[in-house]
Amino acid sequence: MYTPSPLPRRTLLRGALGLGAAAGLAACGRDSTIARTSGDVTLSLWTHDPGYEDFFAKGVPEADRLTDFRYRLKVTRTGPADLVTKLLAQAVAGRGTPDMVGFEIGSFPRMLRGDISERLLHDLTPDIAAVPGLEDDLLPARTAPYTKDGKLYALDSDTPMVVYYYRDDLFAEYGLPKDTPTWEEFAELGARAYKDHRASMCVVSTAGSDPGQVVQSFQMLLYQRGGAFFDADQKLVLDSAEAEEVLGFLCEGLRSGFVIDISDYYGAAMQTALKSGRVIGLPMAIWYKNYGLVPNVPEQRGKWRVKAMPRFAKGGGTTAALGGTGFGVIKDKSNTRAATEFLLNTWLTHDGQVRRFTETGYLPTRRSVYEDPQLGALKDDFCGGQRLFGLYRDLLSDVPPLHTSPDQSILFDVLAGNLLRAYRGDLSPREALRRSAEEFRDQAGR
Amino acid sequence: MTTAIAEPASSARKRTGARQVAPRLKKSRAPYLFIAPFYVLYVLFMLVPIGVSLWLSLTEWVGLGTPHWVGLRNYRLLATDVSFHRALGNTGVFVVVAVFLVVPLALLIAQALNTRGLRVRDLWRTAYFVPIVVSPIIVALIFGLIFDRQFGLLNSVLRALFGTGGVDWLGNPDLAKVSIGLVMLWRWTGYLTIFFLAGLQAVPRELYEAAALDGAGRIRTFTTVTLPALKPVTAFVVVTSFIGAAQIFEEPYLLTGGGPAESTLSVTMFIYRAAFQRQQFGYAAAAAVVLFVLVFGLSQLFNRLLGIGRASS
Repeated sequence: MYTPSPLPRRTLLRGALGLGAAAGLAACGRDSTIARTSGDVTLSLWTHDPGYEDFFAKGVPEADRLTDFRYRLKVTRTGPADLVTKLLAQAVAGRGTPDMVGFEIGSFPRMLRGDISERLLHDLTPDIAAVPGLEDDLLPARTAPYTKDGKLYALDSDTPMVVYYYRDDLFAEYGLPKDTPTWEEFAELGARAYKDHRASMCVVSTAGSDPGQVVQSFQMLLYQRGGAFFDADQKLVLDSAEAEEVLGFLCEGLRSGFVIDISDYYGAAMQTALKSGRVIGLPMAIWYKNYGLVPNVPEQRGKWRVKAMPRFAKGGGTTAALGGTGFGVIKDKSNTRAATEFLLNTWLTHDGQVRRFTETGYLPTRRSVYEDPQLGALKDDFCGGQRLFGLYRDLLSDVPPLHTSPDQSILFDVLAGNLLRAYRGDLSPREALRRSAEEFRDQAGR
Repeated sequence: MTTAIAEPASSARKRTGARQVAPRLKKSRAPYLFIAPFYVLYVLFMLVPIGVSLWLSLTEWVGLGTPHWVGLRNYRLLATDVSFHRALGNTGVFVVVAVFLVVPLALLIAQALNTRGLRVRDLWRTAYFVPIVVSPIIVALIFGLIFDRQFGLLNSVLRALFGTGGVDWLGNPDLAKVSIGLVMLWRWTGYLTIFFLAGLQAVPRELYEAAALDGAGRIRTFTTVTLPALKPVTAFVVVTSFIGAAQIFEEPYLLTGGGPAESTLSVTMFIYRAAFQRQQFGYAAAAAVVLFVLVFGLSQLFNRLLGIGRASS
């Protein structure tokens, strides 16, 4: 009987090395790009917010029903800035990129540098155009931050209008009217409230470690007043009369006590200010209720109310926009089509937008959804049972577009420093803005 | 026949020679094989990245696609970049704090901890060492609470003691540097104390006894016995502190983000900002090369001045 002789050790070793090398080469190889058109698909989703993870997970059955795919989600969560860094690293490696990514609006401008977005992101414009009526229904104010050269690279999670939050009980106790029409009159009331009760009615952030947060305080009122950082061509338009007026208004408010400087909108300093009644009102985006007020002062449930901000006497609108997260699809992957269809059929359907508001508190980005009676009937317990959606609907037409630039982080760095100088009185508002523009132009060209 | 006899003899010699050479080769190869893993990793993860950084510093690259060759343009821009100059200046301040404040204080604390008859010595040592093992995130959170202008602990104490508070520790450009210096002092001093303590414990007791017999006081003993005996340790601590401070990142990044108005921006933060916030990888690489040259050059200078690695005469 023939008995096969055992393989020599060297042969075994060579075989193992060969197999290892093959496995290694296969692992180093690029992702397959044969497009999936139907059937089972596992989408890799990267996001910084567990709320989005839950939203998309719950949207799978609906997406399965509306498309030819049967979806599964594989979610990776990481910080907003790390997410872009990791995405670029994977793109350089040629493998391991996700199918869908949520770009926090402050991090997205990195994708606008050079041709990164063109190389990496799927242009959603034709997909939107293919759905009847969708293009006109989407709010241009919320597609602007993610658009470059007429191509839309991400779909916003929110229409983050800026509103005025205030303590209803303390306003009543201090005899402060709730319908003051202009900021200027409101500031006078605020100075009195500070003098009599050491209570401030507006906040600026001085978070040194977060230039974005420092800029936000100024940004909200600047955009409400009709100013902007960049125009649609990504050119800096900061150095304007509106910007000077707004910065002057904040500096004056700091001196009168109407405005208080807080080191962090979300941390211990703000919590102390809210709990101690040092802050009885502030302008902020609609998401601040869930991310700032509810976690910091849950015991003040029912005492807060939301209203439209006062207007500036010299012009501007009733609101601004602050924040947002754009979800994009990575191009030229086998799952690109599946991811695009998933995004459109969860994120942009009428039901999806309603569900997004009820589950995450983020406002719809489609104009027609604001007419939904279900949303109009919702009451907010934290705000004493207020029906907030009517207010949001009224403000909708005033939401200004936010144009960004790949150099936005440079602007935020230089502007934050000069804003703090102006708040301290070391620079006049005019000088702070002039220097910011000058330093920006110097650094952006490098 | 002759041939027939000669051939086996030749091949036999070859075989014998091969047998003799093979073990020799094996023997001489062995040490190289043993040290090879380190050098393979050193080349892969040290020399290659340094080389790539050098090459990248001569290009413009957004982080994706092909880098575009720009020659020395990045270096020329750095030479006129006010932010980079500011970062160099700030880093210089942090180095001065590390070398001239943290190191001497660590030595003094080590001297105190080395005192005979000190009770609960281990507790003191642990207390001084703890800050370095605390996560920098926690450190930033704690010091953020301490330095807060409106509700911070430090200002509350000042208000309680002197009736005045409201000092903008992290918002004032000058005070922000002081605050970072204080955090460095708190975080690094205990760690360096351990090195000095080890050095102090190695100083022969006889030297102190001889100094005492000669009538030397405490200060004289410290300057003539302790300090010379600690010279190698001091040299090591100074050079490592210098290198650490020259590459400082965590403290300013977490506490002030380099602000206000770049008053605490360090060179490493400048590099990080250029690469990972502004997608200017070529520019960041050029700054990294400048930092590398500066740190390497000055470390060599310190080595020579302090005589590190030279046998004591």
